[in-house]
Amino acid sequence: MENEKRIGLLRVLDPAHECPGYWERFRAEIMERAAFELARRRDLARESVELVLSGWSRSLIPAALAAAVIAAIMVGSEAVRDPGPDASLVLEDVLASDFSDEVLETAITGEAHASPVAFMAFVEGNRP
Amino acid sequence: MRERSDAELVIRARSGHTESFGELVRRYQQPAFSIALSVIGRHQDAEDAVQESFMVALQRLEDCRNPDRFAGWFLTIVRNRSRNLIRRESLRSGDPIPASASNAGPNPEKAASLAELRESLQEALKKLSEVQREIVLLHDLEGWKHSEIADRLGMPSGTVRSHLHFARKALRVELSGWRDHVTAS
Repeated sequence: MENEKRIGLLRVLDPAHECPGYWERFRAEIMERAAFELARRRDLARESVELVLSGWSRSLIPAALAAAVIAAIMVGSEAVRDPGPDASLVLEDVLASDFSDEVLETAITGEAHASPVAFMAFVEGNRP
Repeated sequence: MRERSDAELVIRARSGHTESFGELVRRYQQPAFSIALSVIGRHQDAEDAVQESFMVALQRLEDCRNPDRFAGWFLTIVRNRSRNLIRRESLRSGDPIPASASNAGPNPEKAASLAELRESLQEALKKLSEVQREIVLLHDLEGWKHSEIADRLGMPSGTVRSHLHFARKALRVELSGWRDHVTAS
């Protein structure tokens, strides 16, 4: 009870005791004074984001270009060094390895060349 | 909607988020006023000190290294600004009632009586130590709990209780003549 009375007395020290809406107005005054600094901070934050992004683009784009050029050079040099087997030539060599040049010439230039069936029949007929 | 923590508000306010800074002002303007009043003892100067403190805090938000502890950090600014204000200026001898409240009284008699009561309270509070004034105002005027005061002023909870006990005891003696006034009004 004693405490409640004293707390009641202390309420007189609160400016809102006599002036309802006092703290809302007080806050509005502070916010008005803070407006410039808050705006400055917003600008700074936006600039920071732009700086980060432009920093990334400055370093990433050249890096990506360099990587592309290096990749192109590597692929090119690899192709020159090792052209790789020509599948069709290899197959022909395997198929023709058992036959004499004479038989092969006839097979390629003669009637046997007209159709796959005739070719196979000729080749099988001349297998050593 | 979930209430944002002080830390979240501080971090957003650093980027210029107006609503977040506004919420910090809403949360701490009254405790800050109590602290300033306990140091300075006059309403108008306490208001100035609180306004200045919010401006300083906003400009130095990056210095608040632990945003979770914003309250303690900010109230220290308030206390220091208030002490600086006392040192810097010889306090005005005018009406301690805020100008905005001067014509708000229900009638001249009651307004005069309230002014007298306010003066007596301020005289009584002057007899306490600064820390006792802070604690009694934060507890009895702002409704902060012992643990909140201890946490935000950075002192043990037992010390807060002890200060509060002695402050109340002293105020009880000083304000004994006003008890009837409160009961009657």
